[in-house]
Amino acid sequence: MMGPLRRTFDRFRGAGGAAITLPPMDGVILPNQAIEEAASVLAVEQPDNLVSDGRRILFSSGKAILAFDPAAETASADILATFDSEVTCLAADGEGNLAAGLNDGTILFATGPSQGRRLSDPGARPSCPTALHFDGEALIVCHGSRRNPPLAWKRDLMERNASGSLWRIDLATGTPTCLAQGLAFPYGVAPGPAASYAVAESWRHRIVAIARSGGGAAATLLDHLPGYPARLVPAKGDGHWLCVFAPRSRLVEFVLRERNFCADMFREVEPDYWIAPSLTSGRSFLEPLQGGAIKQLGILKPWAPSRSYGLLIRLDGDFHPIASFHSRADGRRHGVTSCLDRGDRVLVACKGGDTIVGLDTGAGGGQSA
Amino acid sequence: MAGVDAFVRWRYRLVPDHIVGEILSKRWADNLIPFLFLLATILVFGANIRDFYTIGYLSDATRQLGEFLLVVIGMVIVMLGGGIDLSVGSTFALANIVTLIAMNVLGWPVWLALLATLVVNGMVGLMNGVLIGYLRMRAFLTTLVTLIMIRAVVDILLLKYSVPISGASVTSALWDYVGDGTLLGLPFSFVVALAIAAITHVFLSRSRPGWHVAAIGGSRRSAYNIGIPVRRTVCMTYVLSGMLCGIAGFLFAARLGGAGADTGVGLDLQALTAAVLGGNSLGGGRGSVAKGALGAVIVLIVINGLVRLGFQSGATSMVLGLILLMAVSIDVRWFKNRHKVLSKVYVSPMFFRLPPRPSTLPDSASPYALNDKLRDVEVIGLDRIEGPEDVILDRDDNLYCGSRHGDIVKFFGPDHQRSEIFAHIGGHPLGMAFDRAGHLQVCVGGMGLYAVSPAGEVRKMTDETNRSPRSIIDDARVRFADDVDIAPDGRIFFSEASIRYESQDWAVDGVECRPNGRVICYDPRNGTTRTVLRNIRLANGICMASDGQSLLLNETWACRVLRYWFDGPKAGKVEVVLDGLPGYPDNVNRASDGNYWLALVGMRTPVLDLALRKPGFRRRMARRIPMDEWLFPNINTGCIVKFDEQGNILDALWDLGGQNHPMITSMREHRGHLYIGGIYNNRIGKYRIPGADRNWTAQDHYWGPAR
Repeated sequence: MMGPLRRTFDRFRGAGGAAITLPPMDGVILPNQAIEEAASVLAVEQPDNLVSDGRRILFSSGKAILAFDPAAETASADILATFDSEVTCLAADGEGNLAAGLNDGTILFATGPSQGRRLSDPGARPSCPTALHFDGEALIVCHGSRRNPPLAWKRDLMERNASGSLWRIDLATGTPTCLAQGLAFPYGVAPGPAASYAVAESWRHRIVAIARSGGGAAATLLDHLPGYPARLVPAKGDGHWLCVFAPRSRLVEFVLRERNFCADMFREVEPDYWIAPSLTSGRSFLEPLQGGAIKQLGILKPWAPSRSYGLLIRLDGDFHPIASFHSRADGRRHGVTSCLDRGDRVLVACKGGDTIVGLDTGAGGGQSA
Repeated sequence: MAGVDAFVRWRYRLVPDHIVGEILSKRWADNLIPFLFLLATILVFGANIRDFYTIGYLSDATRQLGEFLLVVIGMVIVMLGGGIDLSVGSTFALANIVTLIAMNVLGWPVWLALLATLVVNGMVGLMNGVLIGYLRMRAFLTTLVTLIMIRAVVDILLLKYSVPISGASVTSALWDYVGDGTLLGLPFSFVVALAIAAITHVFLSRSRPGWHVAAIGGSRRSAYNIGIPVRRTVCMTYVLSGMLCGIAGFLFAARLGGAGADTGVGLDLQALTAAVLGGNSLGGGRGSVAKGALGAVIVLIVINGLVRLGFQSGATSMVLGLILLMAVSIDVRWFKNRHKVLSKVYVSPMFFRLPPRPSTLPDSASPYALNDKLRDVEVIGLDRIEGPEDVILDRDDNLYCGSRHGDIVKFFGPDHQRSEIFAHIGGHPLGMAFDRAGHLQVCVGGMGLYAVSPAGEVRKMTDETNRSPRSIIDDARVRFADDVDIAPDGRIFFSEASIRYESQDWAVDGVECRPNGRVICYDPRNGTTRTVLRNIRLANGICMASDGQSLLLNETWACRVLRYWFDGPKAGKVEVVLDGLPGYPDNVNRASDGNYWLALVGMRTPVLDLALRKPGFRRRMARRIPMDEWLFPNINTGCIVKFDEQGNILDALWDLGGQNHPMITSMREHRGHLYIGGIYNNRIGKYRIPGADRNWTAQDHYWGPAR
C-alpha cells in the first residue's frame, strides 16, 4: 500500500527513487587531462577494439580491420580485411586466429587458420556482438541487446532495454550456450575472479561476475561508475583496464525517466542530435547544448556538462579503481571503447576522437596516493 | 498527436503557472499564511459563536483590540530590531496604575496624567534599552528581569493605592470620552491605535531610523559596519515599546478605571504570539505593523472566542502557547525554504510550436546554406574587450562597444588599434544608437535607457514605464532594456527582453519561452515613457523601417522578425516579416543597399524545438536538475543574414568552424565593412562586404549628411 503512494509522492517531489543523483568524479576518478595530452600514435577514423596478434596491433575502423606495427617510426595502418557490415568487436587467440563480430550479427574468423569460418549468421537472435574473448577451446560473446544491433547502442540505452546476454561458443562443435541473460548491454568481458567472467554491464554502470559454467546470480564487482563502461582489458601484472565510453549526465538520467519525451525524440530527431550520451560531441550546432556548456569569451570550460568524455580506469585485482586517465569536456579524445596494455605504455582507442593514443601510465595523472 | 498538442497548448495558455513564482517572489508573500490562518479563525469561531458577527460583539472586541494592538506594535518594533520585550505585561500594568494614581488620587488633568504615564513608561523602556543596547545584555533575560521587577513595583503601588483609587471618582468628560467614546462609530481607543499603527508603519517602512531598525535586525554586524548607530537605535526600540505600552495602559485605565493584581498578566505571551503569528521573524529584520495587526486580530479572536465558548482561563493560555509553538516552527521553516521553493517554481515553461527548421546544409539550395565567408574576418581588440553585445561607429569612424564591466569602450578610427574607456555607466551596455545630435543612446542591462554625450557625459533617459494593472511583478521598472533605435521625430523605441528575468538569465527565459518581452517608447520631447507593445518572446533587436512609421523587431525565441507600425494608417498593427528562421535572431540593423542585416545569436536544435512543445518536460527539468545541466538554446554558433522588407533572404554569412568568431549578437555596416559583436566574445570582427558602398554610414542614412 505504501509503496505506490511513496513512489508517486517521490515522483512529485523528485526525491527517493526519482532523485537524479550521480556518483561524482572524485577520489581516484578525479579528472585530469592524461588522455588529452598523451602522444598520438595513429589518426584513424573511429578506431575500435585494439587486439594484438603477437606481432602487430589489429583494430577495426568502420567496415575494415586494420593493422599497424607499434614499433615502426611512422605508424601507418594496412587494411587486413573488409566486410559488408561494420566491424564491432575483435578477439585474437594468440595462435593467429582473429575472431570478428559485425554489426549485422555475424561472428566469423577474419584471419588465421580458421579464416572464413562463421560462428553465427545474421538473422538469428540475439545478434548484437559487442565484445569477444577467447577462453581455451571456446569463444565468449557479449550480445548487447535483443532489439538493436551494436551500432544502435544509443537507441538501446534510451529505450532502457536490458536484453543483453553472455554466450559461450564451443569452437570444436560450434554449439552456443547461454551463460547469462537479462544483462543491460554487456559491452566487455574478461577473466574474472574465481572461475568467473567479469562483464561490463553498460546501462547499469557496473561490472558483474558471471560463473564460467553459467547459471547462478551475477555478483557485482564494481558499481556506481560515473560513466558507461565498455571493454574490460587485462592489465600487465594484476588487474584490469576499464574503458568508459561516455559520461553519465543528470540531463540524460532525467530524460531517461521522461518516456513520453523519448518516444517523440525517437520519432522526430536524428540519433546524432538526441539528448543521449555520445562518442563525440560539439561537432554540429544541431546537437543539444546544456547551460554550462555555453562558451564564455571563446572558451569552453573543461568542467562543462558534456555528452561525451574520454575515460580509462585502472582496476586492481579486486576490481577497485586505483588510477584514472581523462579527456574532459573541452577535449577531443572522447569515446574510449578499447585499449591494449603493452607494458611500457597503454594504447587507447578513442573512437569518438578518431585517434589511437599511447598513454605513458608511469607518469600518468590520477594515480592514487 | 495534434489533439494532445492542442490540449497542452490550451492548458498552458489558460492556467497562469507563472504567478505562483511571482507571488512567492513578493515581500508580501510572507503575509499569506497568517492571512489564511485569520480567515480560518474567523470561520471556526464565527460558526460556533452565535452573535460573533454582530455590532455589539465587534465593538467590544475592537475596544480591546485598540489597547492590545498598541502593545503588539511595540513588540514588533523591538523584534524587527532583533530583540524581544517580555516586560510588556508588567509595563502595561504599571501604566495603568500610574494613570489611575494621577487621575483618581492626585486629581491631575487628563493630559498631565498621560504625560506622566508616558514619562514613567519611557523610563522603564530606557532602562531596558540601556541594559540591552548600550551594555549589550541579553534581551530575553533582561526583559524577563524587568518583568519581575516592574510587577513588584506594581504590587507595592497596588498595596498602597488600591483603596484610594477605588474610593475616588473622576468627573471629566474627556476622561469618559477616552474610555467609552466613539469616533466615526469606532471606539476612541481603536482610532488611536489605528492612527499610531499608520504612523509606525510609515516610520518603519519609509523613514531612515525605521530602516536602521530593520537593518540591525537583519544583520547587526553589517549595520554596524556601514555606520548605523546600532546601540542607540536598539535602545530607542525599547523606549518606543515602553511608551506604546504606556498609551495602552492609559486607555485601559480610562476604560475600566480599576486596578487589580491580574492586570496585564499573560499579556507578554499574547503579544509575542500575535507578533510571531503575523509573520514577524523572531530573528529580526523581517516584520511590519500590518503583520503585527494581523496577528493581534487572530489572538484576540481566539482568546475571546475560547472564553465565550466556556473554556477555563488555563485552556486559553494552553491554546495560545500551542499557537505560538506552531507559529515559531512555521516561521523557521518558511524562512529557510522559501527561496528553495521559489527557485524551483519560478521557471514556468509554456507550450510553443516553432515552424519547421529550414536546412542549413552546405549543398542544399537553402538561402541559409553554410559557408565560410566569415573565415577571414579581421579581429579588433582581441582580449582587450569582454562582452561587446553591440557595436556602433560614429561619423569619424570611431568604434564604440559595451563591455561586461559596465564601460563603453571607444576604438579610435580608422584602424581601431588604440582604445579608451569612453564612458562608465555601471551596467552591461547592450543595444546602442546615435540620435540626431550625435548622442549615444544605450540600453543598459539592469539599469534602463541612458545617453552618452559626445564628450562622454552619462545621463539617465528613463528607467520606468507605466505599470500594467494586472501584473504581479512590478513591471514599471525597466530591468532588461535590450536594443534601441530612434524614429525620425526623435522618439526612442527600445525593447525590454523580459520582465521576468534579469539580463544574465536571458537564456533561462528561452527555457521558459513565455512572451515576457515588450517594446517601450521614450519621448524626449516631454519625457514620457510608455509601453507600446507587449507579449513578445524575448524582444530583441529593433531597427527603424524605411517608411519612418514602423520598426522591425526581433522576437528571439519565436525565431521571427516582426514589423510594428507606431504611426501612420497602420498604427498599432504587427506583421510577421520573417518566420521560421533556422536560429535565434538578436540584433537587426540597416544595410547600405536598403536591406537589413540580421544577427542569429544561436541556432535551433531539433531536440529543443521538440522540448518547446513539452512544457511539463521543461518544468520538471527546471526543478530536478541544476541550471548548468539544463537544455539551453544553442548559442555557441551564430551567423549573419541579410534580408529585405518583403521577407526575402538575400545572403548568409557563416564561420563554419566558429574558431574566428564564436558568437554573433550584432553587426553594424560602416563604409563598406561589417563590424560584428558578440555578448560572450573577447573580440570584435570586421568583415569587408564585397561590392558595398564605401562611403555609406548609418548616421548619414538616418539623419542626413553632416553639416
